Amino acid sequence: MSLAKSLSDALQRKPVCHCLEKVVDDRGRDPSGGWLTRISGGRPAVLYSAGVGRRPPRRGSPLHLPTFDYRRPQSLAQALGWLAEFGPRAAVLAGGTDLLIALRQRLLRPELLVGIGALAELQGVQPCADGALRLGAGTPLTTLVEDPLLRVRLPALAAALQSVGSRHVRNVATLGGNLNLPTRCWYVNQGEAWRQARPPCLKTGGDVCHVIRSARECFALQSSDGAVALLALGARLELARAAAVREVALDDFYRNDGLAPTTLDAGELVTAVYVPVTPLRSTFLKIAPRTGLDYGLGTVAAAVAGSNRRVTAARIVLGSIGSWPVRLRGAERIVAEGGLEPATIEAAAEAARADLGELTNLYSTAGDKRRLARVLVRRALAALRRQPEAQAA
Amino acid sequence: MVRKADLAVVGRDTPRLDGVAKLTGRAAFTDDVRLPGMLHGKIVRSHLPRARIVHIDTSAAARLPGVKAIVTRADAPHLFIGMHQPLFDATVGYIGQEVAAVAALDEATAAEAAALIRVEYEPLPAITDFEAALAEGATPLHPKAPGNIAWEQAELHGDPERAFAESVHVREDVYYTNPSHNCYAEFHVAVADFTGGRKLTVWTPSQTALLYQKALAAGFGLSDGQVRLMTLNTGGGFTGRSVVRPHHFIAALLSRKAARPVRIRAIADEEFLMCRAGGRSRYRFRSGLGRDGRLKVVEADLVFDSGAYVETQMILTRLTHSYLHLLYRVEAVRYRGRLVCTNNLPYYFHHGGGLAQMQFGWGQHVDALARDAGLDPVEFHLLNAVGKGHTTLSGSHFASCGLKECITKATRRAGWGRKYGRLPAYRGIGIGIGAMASGAKGVFRHDTSAAFIKIAEDGTMSLFTGLPDMGQSSHTAMAIIAAEVLGAQPADITVVSGDTDVDPLDVGAFTQRGTFNTGNAVIAAAGDARAQLARVAAERFGVKPAAVVFRDRQVFPKGEPGRAIALRQLVHDTLHSREGRFVMGRGFYNSPKDSGTMAYSFGAQVAEVTVDPETGFVTVERIVAAHDVGRAINPKIVEGQIDGQVFSGMSQALYEELLMEDGQMLNPSRLDYRLPRAFEMPAVEHIIVETNDPYGPFGAKEVGEGPIVCTMQAIANAVANAIGVPVQEMPLTPARVLRALAGRGEVSARTPPAPLRGRRLR
Ligand SMILES: Cc1cc2nc3c(=O)[nH]c(=O)nc-3n(C[C@H](O)[C@H](O)[C@H](O)COP(=O)(O)OP(=O)(O)OC[C@H]3O[C@@H](n4cnc5c(N)ncnc54)[C@H](O)[C@@H]3O)c2cc1C
Ligand code: SF4
Repeated sequence: MSLAKSLSDALQRKPVCHCLEKVVDDRGRDPSGGWLTRISGGRPAVLYSAGVGRRPPRRGSPLHLPTFDYRRPQSLAQALGWLAEFGPRAAVLAGGTDLLIALRQRLLRPELLVGIGALAELQGVQPCADGALRLGAGTPLTTLVEDPLLRVRLPALAAALQSVGSRHVRNVATLGGNLNLPTRCWYVNQGEAWRQARPPCLKTGGDVCHVIRSARECFALQSSDGAVALLALGARLELARAAAVREVALDDFYRNDGLAPTTLDAGELVTAVYVPVTPLRSTFLKIAPRTGLDYGLGTVAAAVAGSNRRVTAARIVLGSIGSWPVRLRGAERIVAEGGLEPATIEAAAEAARADLGELTNLYSTAGDKRRLARVLVRRALAALRRQPEAQAA
Repeated sequence: MVRKADLAVVGRDTPRLDGVAKLTGRAAFTDDVRLPGMLHGKIVRSHLPRARIVHIDTSAAARLPGVKAIVTRADAPHLFIGMHQPLFDATVGYIGQEVAAVAALDEATAAEAAALIRVEYEPLPAITDFEAALAEGATPLHPKAPGNIAWEQAELHGDPERAFAESVHVREDVYYTNPSHNCYAEFHVAVADFTGGRKLTVWTPSQTALLYQKALAAGFGLSDGQVRLMTLNTGGGFTGRSVVRPHHFIAALLSRKAARPVRIRAIADEEFLMCRAGGRSRYRFRSGLGRDGRLKVVEADLVFDSGAYVETQMILTRLTHSYLHLLYRVEAVRYRGRLVCTNNLPYYFHHGGGLAQMQFGWGQHVDALARDAGLDPVEFHLLNAVGKGHTTLSGSHFASCGLKECITKATRRAGWGRKYGRLPAYRGIGIGIGAMASGAKGVFRHDTSAAFIKIAEDGTMSLFTGLPDMGQSSHTAMAIIAAEVLGAQPADITVVSGDTDVDPLDVGAFTQRGTFNTGNAVIAAAGDARAQLARVAAERFGVKPAAVVFRDRQVFPKGEPGRAIALRQLVHDTLHSREGRFVMGRGFYNSPKDSGTMAYSFGAQVAEVTVDPETGFVTVERIVAAHDVGRAINPKIVEGQIDGQVFSGMSQALYEELLMEDGQMLNPSRLDYRLPRAFEMPAVEHIIVETNDPYGPFGAKEVGEGPIVCTMQAIANAVANAIGVPVQEMPLTPARVLRALAGRGEVSARTPPAPLRGRRLR
């Protein structure tokens, strides 16, 4: 029995097949934060090889995983080494809340999964010398949401992460996984058999888009809630590859391209997020069909420095509306110049519609999205205005 | 007639007999069934909405190690799953239609093998929009459905022309409801053992073992007795589990071929493909009012998309016809209902049986009609509502009827007079009223439920019934009824059920017949046992058997509780008498009518909502639900039934929609098909109205579907009241609400609209 099969059994909460026990010993923390409880240990890094290449990847039912190798690094360096070696043939497994679904849906067929869940280097919240907070990319969302520092200093981020999925999802989902969430659409995020009713799209190797039939680009939506909040907060990412570390502003991380939504290179890992805790007020709002569990129909995060009358800096970001989280620079300017006053709030909300540029009818019509954007911006700015200005001092 | 004061167990809150097992995860469901040698099946489905199958190549799948059997049309060319749909058809008619299947040692191998089966199709033109299917010159999809109309029912009562001519006001409206999915807690699953091909045993969740048994027997050319249906706990029915489905047959076929038991279960989007809930429907209503505000005439033209195969869906037209004029006294009725063939999956109905969905439109139509006439809708309902003793134009008779009482009590509790027309902007209140049959003869010549009870020497009892419990707590209700008759406690009774080799016959738990029909059968069976005991007791007490009282595990002569002996003692003495009698009671119930039912439940619900005019989101703040259930056998469970149906009604009214494009579901998952969660549940206030029906067991009527027929219309009316325009298509998603608001010319209105309000007649 393949490990893949065992993983899928574990997910169904059925006892894992005993052949695994030969290669696995049970010790320490779970590499993936709870999904794969039985598959952990201090044994050699290659736990199991299903014989890559000897068997075609499994097709068919969405519950069953394809065949792949799974390795659990003992250090960040080891992880980066493997990622460099395998390049695009490897995938990073963090909490797996999205990746495992994507695997079952055969949206990717990596040869190797590198499980980074247990890497100490990627865990925790630490204050830095410059006052910024360092958030380890492997930290589970629940840990972040419950972190007192984060709750007080970065309320928009706490609210955004709190709105992800359900408690069960947040318990295992990580910040790094959230920031690297693939773009979504109703065509591609389906089982393989389902997708066969239509020819492949741009994302699955074809040359059509089923959502926007005339398009030759992919317009799948970026729905990461963490990204929206962190962009508003002016976060920076620490990216690591074998023998190199770079820092990039989150602004430069996302691209307006459903096919390649980030500038992350193959072999690269997000290791940490730095969030400045400059005195500012922030807020996050999500409008979704249900209370919890759902991706947003639209989300907004806004952060301002200064008082209501004299705003010294403003960042406003909309999410779940296009292929990237959109900075509303026109609206930001209006607030920065005119302060958080009823008239400027209204003007900023109006400007949001123009800031958005082209929109598609994916999930909701472009008109509805534009309308929602305006409501979101108005409500977020009004909420900021209500927050005590003292916090800004 | 039964007086409440005389009842010892009925009417008190009794904990569910299966409660602890369910809460602790000990209750067994079909997915828990493990048989020696059991294989796992996987179905290959069409990915085209309409196509001729040219060739199926199973060779690669057959070579895969672990594969034990593959079945295609060649294995079952003459096997039908009902009257019209072959199990494997030569031409597929919808996306998801079964084409082949494979059984293997484990599920993953079966899935892999299924993906290796190559099917060559010749695509044919498909029609997935029912209105296009009805259009002049549309491609005929089915030889038996000229004009793509698979079934049409037309009815006429009285003289509609004259009634319309005499009406002072006539109104016409069109409403739509959209495809939906039943969303059972328990996914589709079946385990079949057909080893040897002589006796077929099937484990599966079901609302009616009898219908499943008969359909499987007919399909495989067996006698009923050669099919044994095993129903363990069933995780939800919602009218969706009253007809056998292709996977039941396929599991059996694979089992026969492999000579091993086979399990098939739905995984991920298969759950949606296997579902047969409601399709898109159009409801056109036209009604006329007399000068006095009385409803004179109703006319309905209903069209239901029934998908590629029509089996039992005609029940939709039969029911919607009779329910159209159930609530109001009218002079004339004209009805036309049509089932349309399309290349969508065969649609049946969601929770509410097509009636709640029709009432979504009908309730709004009537509300608008009342307002046209300058009447408050509540006044209109009270003016026109039927009452006890009424017989409708199509022959439904109400021996008990608490409709007006429900309307009065619900509106009073909800503060209707204070609120209707007086709420702040974007806050609205609406009413929905309904009725529901308790059982409906017509599926077979009989509508029989039988029951059997045996009493052990220690006074504990086993009650045998074929009525399934799919969460509605019917087994507990049956135990309560038996306990009441025999002076026992529900906890003394073990309900034995779920095996057609053992259970007495029962048509099943649909058409809300369980409490009424099976309850009456249990009274008969328990009464039979009691008569046997009463004879012995009478002799001992020196009184007539009729004067023996059974109560609280005691038996005594009427009026002399001081002479009581323990029930257990009496059972012991009966067994140890010279006769040596072991007490076993049997009984059955069948409606004495030729067709239809003896009793109807009635209800009224008032919904209060808030609409966010900028986003279109609707929040249901509160529901007041008053229901005439005849008699509440187990009041806590009655409240639970009301809660569940309010939830489902709210969910269908606001959230649930299968998005279909070219015959394909775009949201076949619980993430994208937005079934709400507990967070969305409004506050529900229950008012139980007891009219003590003369034919019901201890006066009881159904409560299994009555509440939901009120909910959707109440919410829709409340939304119309809040925003000043109706939303005529369900569900009332934010986008639809915004569109309705935009049609009124104020999307993000600063100036709140004047809420709709009625005036009194002069
Ligand atoms: C029911 C449900 C509801 C959801 N609702 C929401 C929601 O409301 N909002 C939302 O934003 N998301 C939602 N999600 C998506 C997802 O659960 C979260 O985004 C989650 O944070 C992903 O984190 P993960 O650790 O589980 O990522 P994984 O699934 O492990 O990985 C996701 C992707 O990120 C990559 N990746 C992971 N870590 C790193 C890293 N350190 N460096 C580089 N690449 C990395 C993986 O290779 C993979 O491609 C939902 C998911 C489910 C199942
Ligand atoms: S939006 Fe992108 S992923 Fe979706 S169908 Fe179009 S190309 Fe494919």
